[in-house]
Amino acid sequence: MSVLPPDFDELLDAEELDPEERARLERVHALLVEAGPPPDLSPRLNARPVVPARRGAIPLPRRRRGAVLLVAAAFALALFGAGWLGGAHSRSTHVVRTIAMAGPGGARASLDLLDADRAGNWPMVMRISGLASLPEGETYTLWLTKSGKLEASCGTFTVGAGTTTVDLNAPYRLKEYDGWVVVRSGLTAPLLTTTST
Amino acid sequence: MTDGELLIRIGAGDHAAFEELHARYARAVLGLALRRLGDRGRAEDATQEVFAAVWRSAKSYDQRRGAGSSWLFAVARNAIVDGFRRRPEPAAEPPDSPSAEAGPPEQTEAGWVAWRVHRALETLPDHERPVIELAYWSGLSQSEISEFLQIPLGTVKTRTRSALARLADVLEGELR
Repeated sequence: MSVLPPDFDELLDAEELDPEERARLERVHALLVEAGPPPDLSPRLNARPVVPARRGAIPLPRRRRGAVLLVAAAFALALFGAGWLGGAHSRSTHVVRTIAMAGPGGARASLDLLDADRAGNWPMVMRISGLASLPEGETYTLWLTKSGKLEASCGTFTVGAGTTTVDLNAPYRLKEYDGWVVVRSGLTAPLLTTTST
Repeated sequence: MTDGELLIRIGAGDHAAFEELHARYARAVLGLALRRLGDRGRAEDATQEVFAAVWRSAKSYDQRRGAGSSWLFAVARNAIVDGFRRRPEPAAEPPDSPSAEAGPPEQTEAGWVAWRVHRALETLPDHERPVIELAYWSGLSQSEISEFLQIPLGTVKTRTRSALARLADVLEGELR
């Protein structure tokens, strides 16, 4: 989906500008149009960068690698089992709040917030209709917003024909945000915005 | 502090300078990686590899030979291309007809413009950047931006003008 660039004269009261300043700002306008939108950073890239070691990593002796892998696999299996046992029996279905969202072209969504778990995660069930199916590999992202900015990603999803239902999660303090939007992943243009809560 | 000064500090092992450079350039690097690789996951991996390359090679930066931004662009482009070669895309059927997409020189030129513009956007104050991003890339009109940000229409126009002037100052070198 491409967005038409804005009309320069409608962006600001251009008639008030002297010719030199107008030409200067129009050149910036052209560069912004040419550059296209900067991508949004995922939480992974938005986090404080990890300073890499300047020297190469120390490789484990070959005979120890197998043992380390076995321990790691056992640890992962134990975590998975604990998570499955805990998760399967503690998932709430009580809807705390329903958020309605709408966008251009009749796109609609409803977002059911379920009881937060003890760790502070808010499980959510989102039902979406009217959004275009995307090419393979591309997704939509649900974001929490604050003062008109995308602030915290709540997960990505794709849609099919009709209504799509997806499970998402918001591991945040929701009071710190003021809205929800759905964008195409990597872009900032809101396709669905909050209409009521 | 200029980008070049940050690079000199990074070369001396300054972690805070590395974080500042990451804040200034993360979106520009990710944008460049997305242009080259087309895939979000691979582009994010490449972005982390670029900053690792910057940390390792910042000692080689020489301020007398050019601006920090140009040096970073070259390091980023090389790291992204290296990563692309190490992990080629899955085999796919060759296209039946020539691609209409821009060739490498045009891609490099477009990448450089986007790099400068995305870096310049990071210099805008928090109250001006959303106005520009919504106006140019969300398809919202000025009135809709006013409603979305809950600020008067006049303020949207004032902030837009101020942000464009600020971007012009930053990009002046390229505009000349």
